[in-house]
Amino acid sequence: MGGVSAYLIPVFALILSAIPGLRGAETVWSGLVIAENVAQPQPIPPELTRIEGPLKKFFGYNQFQVIGQSQKTLKTGQEDWLATSKFFGLHVDARGESEAGYVLNLKLYKEKELLLETDAKLSKRSPLVIKGPQIGSGQLLLVLVVE
Amino acid sequence: MKTFEEKWTAWLDGQLSGRELAKFEASLPDKAAAEVEKADARKLRQLLKQELGARTLTNQEFFSHQVHEKIAQEDAEASQSSGRRSATTSTWWTIPRLLWAGTLSLAVFLVCTLFVVHEKTPTEESSYLTQILNARVDPVVSPNATVSMFEVKQDRVTVLWTEGLQSLPADYAAK
Repeated sequence: MGGVSAYLIPVFALILSAIPGLRGAETVWSGLVIAENVAQPQPIPPELTRIEGPLKKFFGYNQFQVIGQSQKTLKTGQEDWLATSKFFGLHVDARGESEAGYVLNLKLYKEKELLLETDAKLSKRSPLVIKGPQIGSGQLLLVLVVE
Repeated sequence: MKTFEEKWTAWLDGQLSGRELAKFEASLPDKAAAEVEKADARKLRQLLKQELGARTLTNQEFFSHQVHEKIAQEDAEASQSSGRRSATTSTWWTIPRLLWAGTLSLAVFLVCTLFVVHEKTPTEESSYLTQILNARVDPVVSPNATVSMFEVKQDRVTVLWTEGLQSLPADYAAK
């Protein structure tokens, strides 16, 4: 019995590790971010640390604050969720998973008004940043990252 | 034509007769010595017959002999079959070894497969980057809005860039 177990455990571990579809579920972080230029910027939120450089380079702001966020663990790749702030809502509808990432439908609402809609294939290694409307002296950004 | 030795042997055995016997005995240089030798040969033959002749077994001895024969035969068969069994168990390809060999083959196959897949995918670099399939803005809310998209391979970031969306007051930045 022990010999069989000693044989079967490595075999199953090997097979499981070799099948991408059976790997652990992944989490998508989606956030509504206000980018601004201020005299004394706050530290960047940890969720945005890995893209701090590109954010500053592309948008030219020195402070990024999360005003709404959602963290969703995808198991089937067919889930949907909402990241909201007081006035905005980002609805994310996952429509399937592939080896490269997840196919997502994104809708940005201002209260009940649809401002922007896009379909994207979110890679597990590549964040997506969407430039939203100007708000005061700052800018609304939508960020999606597979963690 | 018989040689002298053949005739001599036949004479000792008493197989010569008649004219042949007379002719042979006449050819002997010393018949008396030959007769002595013939008598000695007869004695020797009798002695050998007595000592070396097949001894008739009694019933009890015969039964015992049969039993011993049977035991010896069975022992020989048993040793032969155990020899065959030990020959089969000592073969290198035992079941556990076959299982491990199969597992190792499977592992090598998987590693090679993953290696090949890994080698292929970098050529499709765009699949590593997030792709924007399409984007649209509400033309009623933002009639002059445009969208563009770009991928920054260096930073592995994809950006959907909008221009001309309706600007909103700072209050909308509230959490």
